[in-house]
Amino acid sequence: MLFLAPMLVVLSVVAVFPVVYSFWISLFDLRLTRPRSVPFVWFDNYAQVFADPLFWTSVARTATFTVMAVAAIMVIATLMALLLNEEFRGRRILSAVLLVPWAIPYVADGLMWKWIYDSGYGALNGLLYQLDFIDKYMVWLGDTRKTLALIANAFVWKEVPLATILLLVTMKSIPADLYGAAKVDGANVWQRFVHVTLPALRPGFMLVMIYETMMAVRHFDLFFILTEGGPANASHVLAWDVYVETFRKLSFGTGAALAYLIALITFLLAFSIIRTMGKKL
Amino acid sequence: MARIRFEGVGKRYPNGFVALEGLDLDIRDREFLVLLGPSGCGKSTTLNMIAGLEEVSEGSLYFDDELMNPVPPHRRDVAMVFQSYALYPHKSVYENIAFGLRMRNHPRAEIDRRVREAARKLEIEPLLERRPNQLSGGQRQRVALGRAMVRQPAVFLMDEPLSNLDAALRISMRAEIKQLHQTMATTFVYVTHDQAEALTLADRIVVMKDGVVQQTGTPDEIYEQPRNSFVASFLGNPPINYLDGTLEGDGAGVSFRRGGLRLALPSRAAQRVAGQAGREVTLGVRAEDVDEHGSPREGETVHGRVTSVLPVGSDQFLGVEVEGRPLFFRVGKEMQHRDGDNVALVVNVNRLHLFDRKDGRSLVW
Repeated sequence: MLFLAPMLVVLSVVAVFPVVYSFWISLFDLRLTRPRSVPFVWFDNYAQVFADPLFWTSVARTATFTVMAVAAIMVIATLMALLLNEEFRGRRILSAVLLVPWAIPYVADGLMWKWIYDSGYGALNGLLYQLDFIDKYMVWLGDTRKTLALIANAFVWKEVPLATILLLVTMKSIPADLYGAAKVDGANVWQRFVHVTLPALRPGFMLVMIYETMMAVRHFDLFFILTEGGPANASHVLAWDVYVETFRKLSFGTGAALAYLIALITFLLAFSIIRTMGKKL
Repeated sequence: MARIRFEGVGKRYPNGFVALEGLDLDIRDREFLVLLGPSGCGKSTTLNMIAGLEEVSEGSLYFDDELMNPVPPHRRDVAMVFQSYALYPHKSVYENIAFGLRMRNHPRAEIDRRVREAARKLEIEPLLERRPNQLSGGQRQRVALGRAMVRQPAVFLMDEPLSNLDAALRISMRAEIKQLHQTMATTFVYVTHDQAEALTLADRIVVMKDGVVQQTGTPDEIYEQPRNSFVASFLGNPPINYLDGTLEGDGAGVSFRRGGLRLALPSRAAQRVAGQAGREVTLGVRAEDVDEHGSPREGETVHGRVTSVLPVGSDQFLGVEVEGRPLFFRVGKEMQHRDGDNVALVVNVNRLHLFDRKDGRSLVW
């Protein structure tokens, strides 16, 4: 206990205090535009959040974004891991290249994709135009139907490496004898994938799903850099909502309440994934 | 029906490592063949080639008269038991056993009948709903056997199936595997590094070393008539004793000499090396080929000093220093010896082995 004490002190200062304090704030009507009067309002901030139709549309958008992104990450990472699990010339170089997006900070990732999507000189326009898929340059991020998908794409690009590595490590731990046994038992490539690889990957899938879901639900950086919640609120997700409430409207009380709700949603999602997938483990 | 024929088969890996060289082997239908050798001798490679898990890089492999080199594992009528058991961890025992039949599209009722029958024979019926991680090593072993049995394959392959079991279980499983071979009446190919397992189970043993077959024969032949010193030393517990010395020939016959020790050679050996007095040879004496009750006779007795006494229950191992070399003999436990005692042991000279000192070839067989 004595030896744990310093760590407990550090933890309570850096972790417990902010958590408790932000919850405390969420019970006050704290506005920086009116700093002298900070009334205690019980759960009024939460009620206010729930009453705001924008909150519910942000929940829906966050859900759409998360489902799109996590699904794409799972599929791409599985394929990448399967590829890198094979022995071939250039495998080591490919795995090194694969890690690059992981090393790039989100701000740089966002700026890079902003240029790629740019309506005037973006690489995407250039590429599609030269291939004759489009006959004029498009304002990609200005299209409300495409915005979420384009941001998800930038998100997936950066998240795939970690997911791939997690799945690859799980794949490497499958004993070779299991594939031998399945071959002798008469299973073809696809059947071996379904009966040996996939079930063995379940812990890896679970890890990736929980982690990426948490990342996607709380994601802020790309929304800030690429669209600032626009156009016409098309990318106004929960994390962006927190930012707008807190730093644009300077209403710290509702901002804290929103942040708390995100934390709660994330927790519930992770919990339900563990419950449903963990059972079959 | 399955006769397996290797013709000049070799296995060379891309990095140049040669796992197997010039293998010619004819495994008879319904035979129990054991591939025996130390790790890295190529025995598992040979087995994996039969299964189709490793490609044949040189030569031809036939099942009956069909060339199998290009045939993938799932088109071969073989079943295999792995050392690690390789049970599918997420499937129940029932599904593990049924998997091979499902992959081959057997009707559901047929699968159920076969799985339950195998489970009954192996006494694992109560375990059918369990997962492999809920089983003991012995139970997993049985499931692995069951998975191979239900397939009713033409060839049954086993890769060190008993080496992960404890000693007592290993011995009782040996008997069961032998029984299984008799009831299934198919060709068994069994890989092991355990000479006792090989001697108990095999119709024929193939002793391998460094990818090359050293000798093929019945357990008796391998044990009694080893072709070289490697084969002789690989079988037997404690291992055969070796003494370096020279041949000495006089009119009465040829004998082995090392320092003060002179042993007459069996007539078969004496004929083979007649007139080669002075040749450097290695003498092989099996631990059990001594008689401590016999009256010492000239040319048939070793004199030495006892260096260790190791009782092993039924009898005892005696460490004896003879002409500066430590030898081990198996003697009855009624013999009361102590460290430092001088003993005279009569050797059964008709069972002596003689090897060329340089290449280890037998000069007797």
